[in-house]
Amino acid sequence: MQRRCFHSESSFVCCVWLYVAGGAGLYCNRTWDGWLCWDDTPAGTVTWQNCPNYFPDFDSTEKATKICSESGQWFRHPDTNRTWSNYTLCNFHTTGKLKMAYILYYMAIVGHALSIASLLISLAIFFYFRNLSCQRITLHKNLFVSYVLNSALTLIYLIAVVNNPDVVGRNPVGCKVLHFFHMYMLGCNYFWMLCEGIYLHTLIVVAVFAEEQHLHWYYLLGWGFPLVPASIHAVARKKYFDDNCWMSVETHLLYVVHGPIMAALLVNLFFLLNIVRVLVTKLRDTHRAESNMYMKAVRATLILVPLLGIQFVIFPWRPENRLAGEVYDYIMHILMHYQGLLVATIFCFFNGEVQAALKRQWIQYKAQWGQRRRDHCSMRSTSYTATSITEVPAFMYHHDCNSEHLNGRHTSEDSELVALKTGETYA
Amino acid sequence: MATGIPPRAIVEACQSVSVMACGGTYEYAIEEFCLGKFRLDMEELDQHHWCSWEDTVEPYGELTNCTYLIALKMDCFWPNRQVDEFFIRIHKHYFHDCSLSGRQLRDPPNHILGPFIVVPILVTLLMTALVVWRSKRSEGIV
Repeated sequence: MQRRCFHSESSFVCCVWLYVAGGAGLYCNRTWDGWLCWDDTPAGTVTWQNCPNYFPDFDSTEKATKICSESGQWFRHPDTNRTWSNYTLCNFHTTGKLKMAYILYYMAIVGHALSIASLLISLAIFFYFRNLSCQRITLHKNLFVSYVLNSALTLIYLIAVVNNPDVVGRNPVGCKVLHFFHMYMLGCNYFWMLCEGIYLHTLIVVAVFAEEQHLHWYYLLGWGFPLVPASIHAVARKKYFDDNCWMSVETHLLYVVHGPIMAALLVNLFFLLNIVRVLVTKLRDTHRAESNMYMKAVRATLILVPLLGIQFVIFPWRPENRLAGEVYDYIMHILMHYQGLLVATIFCFFNGEVQAALKRQWIQYKAQWGQRRRDHCSMRSTSYTATSITEVPAFMYHHDCNSEHLNGRHTSEDSELVALKTGETYA
Repeated sequence: MATGIPPRAIVEACQSVSVMACGGTYEYAIEEFCLGKFRLDMEELDQHHWCSWEDTVEPYGELTNCTYLIALKMDCFWPNRQVDEFFIRIHKHYFHDCSLSGRQLRDPPNHILGPFIVVPILVTLLMTALVVWRSKRSEGIV
């Protein structure tokens, strides 16, 4: 038996343990079957443990079983009449699971790529149309930048580390640094959402329609503070669960980062519900028009918070059933990796102002192009140009940045002229 | 390790034993010639490293080889009951509190894990309150 005790660390430990203590009653003796160590098992029961990870196609989340017969002897295989443990499930589903893992992997990559693209487009829109600028849009811009960075880092992590077993095997310091920044950017995402909620709350509930706020504290909370949970996680991980590239998700130390994120989401939800309450009760009678607009502003953030947070609520409960587990995986991956696209859509593409600004720009462009064509084609264009330009529709009102204008501050350069459509989706 | 009994000396010592008794004499032989070196090796290791596979594999391997060689020279079958009992005593002395899963990575105990999780959450809530308070103050109430 000592010779087999040299097989690996597990066999060494098992052999040591086999010798150390003893028991009583009808049971199968503890044993080492060559791959795993099996404890004393009562007669007539089936014992199980997780499959080992010695072989590449063994899935260590599957179960290996061993039968202890009624007479207190381990089950012997009928063909060879030797004691036999059942490891068939360990590599039974492996090809199917590998295929699905690849599908999820490519889904994640596509999701993040789409997110980056849509967020960059939104940022371009916000920077191009300077008239849209105000404090809330500034917060949107910061939120989008943090989402872009998060998606970029995740893409690098997926492509360079997750898909590369030899990098994980080598365990360079760089992949842990990458993991640290990944956790930091994840925190930034959710803390910027919190900043949006706090801003709206301060604007509407606390200091109604007041002057501009100082954004320094928001920058601190959004960019600076997420360093704290990320650093604590790195220190704890290094000291207590220092696996290769910190890839394992089987540890509760991840809650060091996810706990504050969930706290931020809950606080955000509370603020937004408070805003809705205030808008509904207090401003309904006095400032009807403004309360409608702010309700629309809050609606977008209120939709996003549960969507962004729901993955943290349902994450721990993966169903045991195979089919349900697969559906769960697909839903979780969509929720996690397409968030940037969702945020860009709700905060930018569904924003009434942005849509109006784009339409106006398109009309202007068409008019200019038409004018140029007419200039090219004929000399008698002057009367046409006059009418085509003045066709721009009438008055626009700044929904989003309304508060800054209500106190009589005139923004001379940007009284844009866009149609005010009531009941338009305003985000 | 530089000191220690070279295998050749053990072999020669064994050959000098006249009666090939694979019971008591064998047991005496392995305790005399093999255990000493193993004890010295393990004492060199810090006690906390006794459960570490990488650190103990070499002395343990030498010990096993030593018992095997003596058995070979004494024409005894190996492994045998004396060797088993010998190893049981060694395990009880040196490895009695090693955990079954070895050095598999595990979460720290709850009294360490708890603060690591709770403190960032509290700091988050404090920071949020601070930002709300500061943004409130920076314009006052209209």
